[in-house]
Amino acid sequence: MYASWTVRHKPKTLGEIIGNPQAIADLVSWLRSWEQGIPKKRAALLYGPPGIGKTVTVEALASDWSLELVEKNASDYRTEEAVRTFAGLASQYGTLFGKKRLVLFDELDGLTGREDRGGVGAIIKVVKQARCPIVLIANNAYNPRLSSLRFYCLLIQFKKPNVRSVAKRLRQICQREGIEPEEEALKFIAQRSQGDVRSAINDLQALAQGKQQLTYEDVSWLAYRDRKDAIFNVLRLIFYSKSCDAAKSAVDMADVDHNMLFEWIYENMPYHLRDLEDLARAMESLATADLYRSRIRQTRNWKLTRYVVDFMTAGVAVAREKTEPAGFVPLRFPERIKTLSRTKKERQTKSKIGWKIKRRCHISAAEAITEFLPYLRVIFENNAGMASGIAKWLELDDAMVEYLAGTKKQAKAIVKAD
Amino acid sequence: MWVEKYRPRSLKSMVNQKDIVERLKSFAEARNIPHCIFAGPPGTGKTTAALCLAHDLYGEAYREHLMELNASDERGINVVRQTVKTFARVRTLGEIPFKILILDEADNMTSDAQQALRRTMERFTGTCRLILIANYSGKIIEPIQSRCAPFRFTYLPREDQDAYLRHISESEKVQLEAEGLNAIYEVCGGDLRRAINTLQAAASLGKPISNEIVYSVIGRANPLDVREMIQLAMNGNFIGARDKLREMIVKYGVAGSDIIRQIHRELFRMRDIPELWKVKLADAVGEIDYRLISGADEEVQLSALLARFIEAGITMRRSG
Repeated sequence: MYASWTVRHKPKTLGEIIGNPQAIADLVSWLRSWEQGIPKKRAALLYGPPGIGKTVTVEALASDWSLELVEKNASDYRTEEAVRTFAGLASQYGTLFGKKRLVLFDELDGLTGREDRGGVGAIIKVVKQARCPIVLIANNAYNPRLSSLRFYCLLIQFKKPNVRSVAKRLRQICQREGIEPEEEALKFIAQRSQGDVRSAINDLQALAQGKQQLTYEDVSWLAYRDRKDAIFNVLRLIFYSKSCDAAKSAVDMADVDHNMLFEWIYENMPYHLRDLEDLARAMESLATADLYRSRIRQTRNWKLTRYVVDFMTAGVAVAREKTEPAGFVPLRFPERIKTLSRTKKERQTKSKIGWKIKRRCHISAAEAITEFLPYLRVIFENNAGMASGIAKWLELDDAMVEYLAGTKKQAKAIVKAD
Repeated sequence: MWVEKYRPRSLKSMVNQKDIVERLKSFAEARNIPHCIFAGPPGTGKTTAALCLAHDLYGEAYREHLMELNASDERGINVVRQTVKTFARVRTLGEIPFKILILDEADNMTSDAQQALRRTMERFTGTCRLILIANYSGKIIEPIQSRCAPFRFTYLPREDQDAYLRHISESEKVQLEAEGLNAIYEVCGGDLRRAINTLQAAASLGKPISNEIVYSVIGRANPLDVREMIQLAMNGNFIGARDKLREMIVKYGVAGSDIIRQIHRELFRMRDIPELWKVKLADAVGEIDYRLISGADEEVQLSALLARFIEAGITMRRSG
């Protein structure tokens, strides 16, 4: 059954909500003050950017305190009349069934001038006479339209949660959905959402639903989802321009940095330049651009960047003599960027194994990787018994054994073999 | 690992480098050694000789009098300043008044670090003797060389390597065929460490070790399949050749410098390239090699080299 994860995994109690401890504490203590009679400010205005849990906080609070939540949001009309019918509800604290009541006006930013004519004024009237707590929610409390209302409200600011807590929340959801996520992948989604938890969860669902694992590779596309068209056009400009200027102008169109653009060109070029001599020339030009990159690294002279740009754009463009512009060629995400992130963990494991070998075999860790690792791999893939002895002697951990064994199955056999 | 299991413990059991071993034995008997440089190709017993020497000097507890440092893991001037000095300055207890510091891969040390070493060597000669181990003694600065007794290690002769491998396979009850032995020598050429590792990996397959087994192990361990990659490029399949290149670099972690060395070797072995073209392409290979040394991107540059092979293929086909 398809259900939105933002709904399915909505926090049910205050304890599950990430971030904003101060705002929540303020809200709770204001609500508590209602026990001692009607406080000075009868309404609380929660404000802050979208998707960070303002509404969810109120809902969880109502549920924790067993309050009856009466809610109105932008989908309802908020003309004066509509609000007034609402006012009756707000006129008493207790309900017929003994439950206390909480009135919520959500999405106040949605009050538009004409359709919600008089809406703000009506809300102010309701607030002034309220006999039960009223919570108002808006993105921007300093919207001029809300200025008169602001005066009657306790202002409580909600802030964006940090990347770590968003990632933590995503991990909990993955756990409940039975998905094994890579830490890097979650961090990437969290970072991209810029604190908007709701959109982060939506992204997560779009990328991970139905999968058992979520890798960095799966999500790295996300960054280019919006830019894909832009990159596509930039590359066509570089591959098919007849003039140096046009090809060079592509760099300004691309909203990725030079190194990233270089990778896109390098990856996609052979699929466009189908005449081999054209391709060979273009490749040589790209290599020249790379040469300038290494010169920049060595001399720290960034002025040389302009030559990198020349050779990776104009140089590639003029290399085309015979190739006719191709029809549709699917865009390819740079393989090297994918593998770079995917293999990061592997490389770490490898170097750790190097240090283990160093401890035993009187060799540097760096040299151990070239001199021993390839042979260990053969042994671990083929002979669980021998591998198990070596693993123990070198004191390899499970991750290292699995790296050398190649598969989980063989790694298990090795662990069992002793 | 068999490499460690069968590493000689004492100079007496070292089978090769006879001249060197004799001189080292006389040091051990005299209970005194100078600073030494052990230079020579990998897998020829430099580290083993140093460890054996220490063993014969101090007896079973030799590790207490010994420190091993690897220049490539902890190079730099600070290591020399601190670690080495601290170790060198403290006198050991026991009948031999000095300790031994083995500095492996010393040719990888920056020249600053080597300069710093110079003073340390002089000041603490009384309490510490150094054994510098290097592939190329030429990369060690003059002043240090002149303070050390030099020993040049050479590749093991065929008979010595064969004898050692036979000895191991008998102890391990592995069937080693004559062809297999041939193949190992063919591939490892007197590098005993590589030979023993190859032997053990081959033995792990659980079959008698024939030349086929050896080559399949080498193939799996070092999938340096440059021939196929070059062939793909010459036939005009750039994408296929680039995928091969990526497989080597990413999946097997082969270094760019190794790939280019292999390409260079393979180039002159290929029958279907005209002689003139071999020389022309060697220039391209050399240019790319030079670029890699100067720090350019391995994959991009090697891809450019593949493109040169494509061009060569086209021109060759045109001229028939």
